[in-house]
Amino acid sequence: MFRIHSMSIIRLLTAFVSIAALPAFVSAEEPLRRTIDAEVKAGWAKAKVTPAKPSTDAEFLRRVSLDLIGVIPGYDETIAFLDSKEPNKRDLLIEKLLADPRFARHQADVWDMVLFGRNPPGYETQRREGFQTWLRSRFEKNIPYDQWASELLKAEGTSAETGALYLAQWRNAPEDAIEAITQTFLGVQLQCARCHDHPYEEWKQLDFYGMAAFLARLDVVTVAQKGNQPIFAIGERNLGEVRFTGPVKEAKPGDKGQPVKPKFLLGGELPETPLPKDFKEERFTEKKMPPKPKFSRKDALAEWVTKTDNPFFARSIANRVWAQFMGRGIIHPIDNMSASNAPSHPALLDAITKELVAHKFDLKWYIRELVSSNAYQLSSVGTGEPNPEWFQHARSRPLSAEELVESWQVATGYLAAESASAKKPETDRFRPVGSGYLIQFFGNPITGTGDFQGGLREHLYLNNGPLGSMIGGKGALAEFVGDAKKPVTERVERLFLTTLNRRPAADEVKKFTAYLTEGNSASEAVWVLITCSEFRFNH
Amino acid sequence: MFTPTKPTLRYQLTFEGSWPCAVAFVGPRRLAAANQLGNIFIWDLPEKPPEFKADPKAERQAPNVWPTRRLDGHTNEVTRLIMTPDGKHLVSASLDHSVRVWPLNGAVAGKADVLLDEDARKREARRTGKKDTSTAPSATVETQTACEVLEGHAEWVYALGLSGDGKRLVSGDAASKVIVWDFVARKPLSQWSGHPWNWIAAAALSPDGKTAFVSENRYKRDDFDVPTPGLKLWDAATGKETLDVLKVQFPKYNASDRSYGGSQVWRKFVANGLICVAYSPDGKLLAAGQGGETDTGKVHLHDAETGKLVRDVASHQYGITDLMFSSDSKHVISVGRDTCVRICQVSDGKEVAVLGAPRGGQFKDWLSAVALSPDEQWVAATDIAGSVQVWQLGG
Amino acid sequence: MNPPCIRSEHLSRRALMKAALGSVAGGVVMNWGGLTASRAIAEEARKQKKHCILLWMNGGASQFETFDMKPGRPTGGPFRPIDSNVPGIKVCELMPRMAKQMDKVAVIRSMHTSEIDHPGGIYLMHTGYRPSANVRFPEMGAVVAKYQGTEGGDLPDFVKVSSNGDAGGGFLGPKYQPFGIGSEGSLPQFSTSNMDPVKEAKRHDLRSFVEDKFATETKSELAKMHREAYEAARRLQKGRDAFKIDAEWARSKELYGDSEFGKRCLLARKLVESGVAFVEVGQSSYDSHADNFQWHRGLVPPMEHAWAGLLADLKERGLLENTLVVWTGEIGRTPQINNRAGRDHYVRCWSTALAGCGIKGGQLYGSSDENGVDVKENPVTEGDFFATIYKALGIDPQIENYAGLRPIPLAQFGSKVVNALLG
Repeated sequence: MFRIHSMSIIRLLTAFVSIAALPAFVSAEEPLRRTIDAEVKAGWAKAKVTPAKPSTDAEFLRRVSLDLIGVIPGYDETIAFLDSKEPNKRDLLIEKLLADPRFARHQADVWDMVLFGRNPPGYETQRREGFQTWLRSRFEKNIPYDQWASELLKAEGTSAETGALYLAQWRNAPEDAIEAITQTFLGVQLQCARCHDHPYEEWKQLDFYGMAAFLARLDVVTVAQKGNQPIFAIGERNLGEVRFTGPVKEAKPGDKGQPVKPKFLLGGELPETPLPKDFKEERFTEKKMPPKPKFSRKDALAEWVTKTDNPFFARSIANRVWAQFMGRGIIHPIDNMSASNAPSHPALLDAITKELVAHKFDLKWYIRELVSSNAYQLSSVGTGEPNPEWFQHARSRPLSAEELVESWQVATGYLAAESASAKKPETDRFRPVGSGYLIQFFGNPITGTGDFQGGLREHLYLNNGPLGSMIGGKGALAEFVGDAKKPVTERVERLFLTTLNRRPAADEVKKFTAYLTEGNSASEAVWVLITCSEFRFNH
Repeated sequence: MFTPTKPTLRYQLTFEGSWPCAVAFVGPRRLAAANQLGNIFIWDLPEKPPEFKADPKAERQAPNVWPTRRLDGHTNEVTRLIMTPDGKHLVSASLDHSVRVWPLNGAVAGKADVLLDEDARKREARRTGKKDTSTAPSATVETQTACEVLEGHAEWVYALGLSGDGKRLVSGDAASKVIVWDFVARKPLSQWSGHPWNWIAAAALSPDGKTAFVSENRYKRDDFDVPTPGLKLWDAATGKETLDVLKVQFPKYNASDRSYGGSQVWRKFVANGLICVAYSPDGKLLAAGQGGETDTGKVHLHDAETGKLVRDVASHQYGITDLMFSSDSKHVISVGRDTCVRICQVSDGKEVAVLGAPRGGQFKDWLSAVALSPDEQWVAATDIAGSVQVWQLGG
Repeated sequence: MNPPCIRSEHLSRRALMKAALGSVAGGVVMNWGGLTASRAIAEEARKQKKHCILLWMNGGASQFETFDMKPGRPTGGPFRPIDSNVPGIKVCELMPRMAKQMDKVAVIRSMHTSEIDHPGGIYLMHTGYRPSANVRFPEMGAVVAKYQGTEGGDLPDFVKVSSNGDAGGGFLGPKYQPFGIGSEGSLPQFSTSNMDPVKEAKRHDLRSFVEDKFATETKSELAKMHREAYEAARRLQKGRDAFKIDAEWARSKELYGDSEFGKRCLLARKLVESGVAFVEVGQSSYDSHADNFQWHRGLVPPMEHAWAGLLADLKERGLLENTLVVWTGEIGRTPQINNRAGRDHYVRCWSTALAGCGIKGGQLYGSSDENGVDVKENPVTEGDFFATIYKALGIDPQIENYAGLRPIPLAQFGSKVVNALLG
């Protein structure tokens, strides 16, 4: 019989409730995870697809560790989890990972890529430790998403302390800025409307410029210098407009165009108090924080974007975080939530959105529900596609450059050896191999449509590069694996548990035993398992 | 007697249009100057310039007189003008591959109307708002075509030098060929080549005509393919190399090197080419000027026997364009891209006079060539802004 | 055996169909996805395989010192034109060897482009698009590698020899990144394995076992791509010697000219001969804001010697009819000569050139006015230039790839193929 445990009783009761209910609707008590499972299951029936089996403990352990804290578990944690007899060990694991300080760091890494990417536009946006520290603190403190998104868009403070650097990507380019902001925070593609009325969506050119107008008065002011890095603040003037010259095809050279007043998308014009007739704009001076304007369009935009009842905002974040863990959005692509792009599971998206709002944009709560669902915990073995449309099996994704190097540190035993040694721990995240090449060639291994693509330079690095410095260190895994005095089965087991977080299958034991007993290099055996597909991807 | 003090600008000879780029005195107060079209004009300059009141705000600070004669023949830029010591001939070298010897009182071929102040007319038209409708020429000049053409080069002739006694001429071209001429007979005496990849940038003969001092270089072929230049002394009669001056400076220098790394050995010394050279009249010193565009163009003074660097004199921002010694070998007179004539003492490098002032900025004008009158009282310098400046020394 | 269809390519299915229809002689020229699994089609594709060599004049070569001389004009300068082997076509005296190859070359004298500074111009003339904050456009080399490259070859299909431009594969993906050779022929970092071949074979065997098992059990598409890229990197070890020219240099030195650029052009010919789809060869730098005539006197002769040698060599080896040789830089130079004896940047009217691969040589397309200030006839934009290049290479310039949701044609929307340049 099942053990009496308060959480299991609750789960049992709620499971009972959800089984009884038909096409699911959100009841006040039902955890979101049950809604997710019910809706996804309904989707399978509708699409007539067969779902995969549930993931094994090993599959789940590695996957959820990478998704939540951005690194694979070490040998001890792996053994502890795999061999645990606790019936709710997965829930316990999830809680442990959510409480880990690396959770905040990993989520900040993910969002840093969303907000900046590997090659952000703008001057001095590549190095942004101040921004990254700020973003990490939002996740550490579990600040509600709408709150930190609003902070980001209001861009107060300096780039050394807050998220102000975000808007610095688009100096004097309100059109580029609004394209990015609406895509990221509202899931709306306005860029086609920049040059002409959108061919089949409802956006007109004036809608685009009406939105760009909110950012027409911004400037990036250098307020200080830290070594050779400038520190910025975003200043907003009292005057300044975007100008609209009509469809690009009809534009004539020298056409200055008409100023466009700020207007909310699908909404009304922004009411602005007019300035006194003799108002004189003061210029921003370097080395001084720019004063606030009498009326801030940027703040008006920030408030409108992050409002609970903004038709796009909550839905967009619900969809985006879903995609982060499930491989694709319920609306796909995630930044195209337009009328002509229907959600695959409309009721599900509505339910998540509603719950997220009710939980005041608590992303940690949402993530917990997501990774606790059966849908997330399916095996990834199915059709072979990385991002299945009906979530009938788990998704596969490449590890980021950061996840790779940190997971290599764990998998090779480099980290363990480092901790064991008396040496002062280093701070370079990319030690001992360095970040330059990794970021350049592993940083963005995708096509324009976001699909992974293998690159030659990646594999030249893996085949002929410096991984040996991690693998071959004193006290590293390869030492254990190559130790002929230890029983070979133990060595093979340790190898697999440390690199792939699972025990080897019988045929793997046979193959690797033969390899090692023949006297072949243990380092190369480690190399095989940390460069193979099973390692390279999260699945 | 060369007294480089109290310089006064006496003439600003209008010579607009194509850049003036070569100058030589062809009499006590007679001047020849040439431009990039190949025109050579001759001016007779009154000892006492006409009455002139300089407006301190104006471009013009000294009076103009028009030339009296034009030497026709060259079809491309004249790179050098040299008067023979006996004052009878003017020798010119040109990008049209030819070296010409002009009798200084040669037969007049005809007359020609010339326009030498088109820029001034345009400026005036802009100032007054009236369209420039004047078609009247600046002057009417005699033309002369009489000259001897010294055949032998098949490429741009940059380098030209005359021995002190006027008996030998050296010329060098962009195909790395050097010809030493028996000038009296107007026939080649010897010829040789520098490194095949180089151009002969400048050449000078020792006062006795026995030694040729040759600077060769070229612009690189790629950022990582930088052929090595050369700076050498040669026996003028046999064409044998007698001293590698650059190697005296840089013993490790390899004349066949063209690597980027190799170029770092000589880069600072050669800058963008040692594009003007001279032998001191007493035969003891060699001068080589750093051409542009380079941060600071200097003149290297080397011992003519050993090739060792004695000292650097002069410095022209953005590079030197021309240089010469005074007849007593005690001063170097140089011009450059800083719009100045600089006169420096050979003995200690001290700059004793500056004629003109830098106009400021990198985008202002050069003085492209310099000449001294036979009595060394007047200095003439071609200004690419469209004039020949003539200065009087010694107050 | 048909390899499984890659879902990610489905977005371009429409483009795929268009591309197949647009190919040369009705046959399928491209070799991507599972389309050309059939051996017969693959053979046909290889026969029609086209190559491209881009001669990149970094800094912007002067049209006045190469193909569009203005002798006697105030903008003309000291060089003089010489006759070529095509009546009516003169070239700068700095190009005596190219003068004998002009029957193969089509010069465009009416380039009219939109980016005047170096970063913008380099991006523009490598991708055919202006730089954008939101879209990563691919370089010409990436496009040619994708549509004329060979799956499973020993060599990368996009090689860049001592050149610049960093747009790379753009939205086509990291598979189409350039393989960059250094200025003195050095291979990119980590290209060479120093591992004992026996040891390497053992680890390869072990790795193959692991990958076989994973593939069988999961059928993962990502794993398939990962494995293919691993194999390609491994095959490079075998193909590495294609990048060495020492043995051939002695006898090719005179044809190509004894210069670094000459060596690079020989390498390009060798790589094309080995099947590489696209090789870019750079020469630096033509940015002659000062002393323009000295700079060109130094740079043009070795360049034209190598270029003429390359054309002759390609012709002799029967490669020229399937190899397009493109000559361009990022910008042209001003007709006005400045006070540093230099020419500054100019994009209102400048020159580029094409030869081979069906280009109708022996012509001057478009013209400039008497001082070279403006285009007189037949302006050619960057989009038109790229459209023509792709068309010559058997690639439909209207094929679309996706960057996010945006379908992006290979050549800018609205650009036109200059048919007069194609035979």
